[in-house]
Amino acid sequence: MLAYLAAVAGEAPYILSGSLVTLGVVCASLGLGFCMGVPLALAQVYGLPTARRLVAVYTWFFRGTPILVLLYLFHFGLFDALNLNMPALVSACIVLGLASSAYQSQIFRGSLEALPAGQFKAARALGFSSVQSVRHIILPQALRLSLPGWSNEYSILLKDSALVYVLGVPEIMTRAHFVASRTSWHVTYYILAALLYLAITALGLKLLRLLEKKTRLPGYNL
Amino acid sequence: MFKQNLLLLLISFFLFGGTALAAQKTYINGIDANYPPHAYVGKSGQPEGFDVEALDWIALKMGFQVKHQPMDWDAIVASLLAKKIDMVCSGMSITPERQAVVNFSAPYFSVRKVLLVNADKPLSKEEILKGNKILGVQRGTNEAEWLVQNREANGWNYTLRYYDSAPLAIEDLVNRRPDAVAVDSAPANDAIKKGGKDVRIVGEFAEADDFGVAVRKEDEELLRLINEGFKLLMQDPFWQKLQDKYDTQL
Amino acid sequence: MNEKTGTFPEPALRLEEISKSLGGRLILDAVSLDLRKGERKVLIGPSGAGKSTLLQCVNCLVLPDRGRIFLKGEELDQSDNRALRLFRRRVGMIFQDFNLFDHLTALGNVGIALQKVRGLPKAEAESRAVEELARVGLEGKASMYPAELSGGQKQRVAIARALAMDPEVILLDEPTSALDPELAGEVLTVIRDLADGGMTMLMATHQMDFALALADEILFMEQGRIIEQGVPSLLLAPGSGTRTLDFCSRLALGAEGRI
Repeated sequence: MLAYLAAVAGEAPYILSGSLVTLGVVCASLGLGFCMGVPLALAQVYGLPTARRLVAVYTWFFRGTPILVLLYLFHFGLFDALNLNMPALVSACIVLGLASSAYQSQIFRGSLEALPAGQFKAARALGFSSVQSVRHIILPQALRLSLPGWSNEYSILLKDSALVYVLGVPEIMTRAHFVASRTSWHVTYYILAALLYLAITALGLKLLRLLEKKTRLPGYNL
Repeated sequence: MFKQNLLLLLISFFLFGGTALAAQKTYINGIDANYPPHAYVGKSGQPEGFDVEALDWIALKMGFQVKHQPMDWDAIVASLLAKKIDMVCSGMSITPERQAVVNFSAPYFSVRKVLLVNADKPLSKEEILKGNKILGVQRGTNEAEWLVQNREANGWNYTLRYYDSAPLAIEDLVNRRPDAVAVDSAPANDAIKKGGKDVRIVGEFAEADDFGVAVRKEDEELLRLINEGFKLLMQDPFWQKLQDKYDTQL
Repeated sequence: MNEKTGTFPEPALRLEEISKSLGGRLILDAVSLDLRKGERKVLIGPSGAGKSTLLQCVNCLVLPDRGRIFLKGEELDQSDNRALRLFRRRVGMIFQDFNLFDHLTALGNVGIALQKVRGLPKAEAESRAVEELARVGLEGKASMYPAELSGGQKQRVAIARALAMDPEVILLDEPTSALDPELAGEVLTVIRDLADGGMTMLMATHQMDFALALADEILFMEQGRIIEQGVPSLLLAPGSGTRTLDFCSRLALGAEGRI
């Protein structure tokens, strides 16, 4: 038993450091998803009919296609056809980011639509341009409303990130698999991987909860 | 703040990944790191194994740099063609299908295909093939292909169950889900000798496979380097040392 | 047409034949009106008469289908976004349901347009906002968020927000109808003070007694048109037989004056 624990402890650092890769992938994808999700949501709520239709097609594609398929499709298909020799890590972040932007746009869209129409009207009545209204009045409120949904997206994306092992990105799952193959102790190392994912989920959700608390407005509940 | 730090971290990953040694040409070797003892990831997190060490030796002798890139076996030929990697020296069987799209070096290793069952199960090879059994196999391998193609003609009736890697297939055999698994002799030996798995080899099937190094069709120079390198290696005492170290003789 | 003789050279605000259809229904049918500097006109009429749409057409929050809008004799180019923004800065608007920015304090609500629209430095915008809050009697509430304020206080912040832009005309769209009667009083007091200060106003309301006390002229709207207009004392003279008088007496009988 002691020897077993010692052996596991010896392998753990390698798998543990995979969580940095996992975190990197998750943060980069969430960031890309956010930067694209906000404009997508704005286009879908305030845009011209053509823009709305385009966003609808975009979200339909990325929400309707399994991440695994997207990973293969982009890494070996699209990026290759475009002559972009992307490292697996970059491909993984882009694919997860694009998929997340589709989901995030729907979170933001819901929040934008939940805001009373009067907010926009009042801003424009004061002489704000549409862009200013969105930036100073609409977004600060919509993003606050989006936080709970966004926390959810974080935990989903974290779990989806395990799929990038098919590209050989050395994250938690890939490393657990490697060690398991060498040692033949599959269950042990998958348990370790699961514990790591759980810990990262808990940590991230805790941070997001803090952020939610910090940005909460007195008496404001829409 | 939190995010910025992570971004920094991410950037440093790229940097470390990119700091290759200058001057000599660097080739990337894609490996299936779930294929001990030929290729796997060692305790330090660095790729190790029979094929990895052999190629390192050749690179040193022939004057090029090599970096081993662990990746998913299913996608390894696609990665080679997409120039994500430059070669596959990782226990890859030479097959006509693969030869249609890539070039192989001369064979450097011969591996037998074996059937494994739980040590306490009195199953024979005949019973596995004709007894309506569930047979585990690694996806995307030569043996999987062979088992599909020769099933009808021989009147065999096993059901194939596919796994991500040979060790995972063996693990599931230990869990008694498949009745038997069909794998290369290399990982089978590794699981029995090093992994201490309670399984036994009941027999061989198909013909022995030859391992070769796969390169893109147009990379003739690289193919030449590898062929010459293996010739030198096989004349060197290190070749025997490697076989002993990884216990590759059955 | 209202043709007053020329004590005022030109109207502060003039609407000519404003029409608007929404969803195939004609909401405004060629409505025209003049508002001279310092003049206070009150729109009354049943719900759905088009009062609110008319007010929102004035500063093109709702774009009219047809019609012209003049501010101090200059015509507004309704297709020019920049002109629209400049125009809106000069025409304040008070909404029925306040429309305070929920993520900003009272101070922030009053100050943000000063900063972002008029381009004042932050400190200057804030001190001006403090002044405006004091003017509506809310000096102690500067750091409160809308959700922490009563309805009456919210509407007073909204008035301070409009006043901070130094508007030439203020449009009030039923400013007290979302308030309980006991809270409406404090808002009405503020509006009365504004009127006494000479502010040009166009207000839609159901508060008849207030309208009577404040209005230079009453405009009675029905089905998208102004069908009667005149000074309150004449329109509402007993026995005058006007639609306005009829409407007001029915309003007085109805509960709480809401129709």
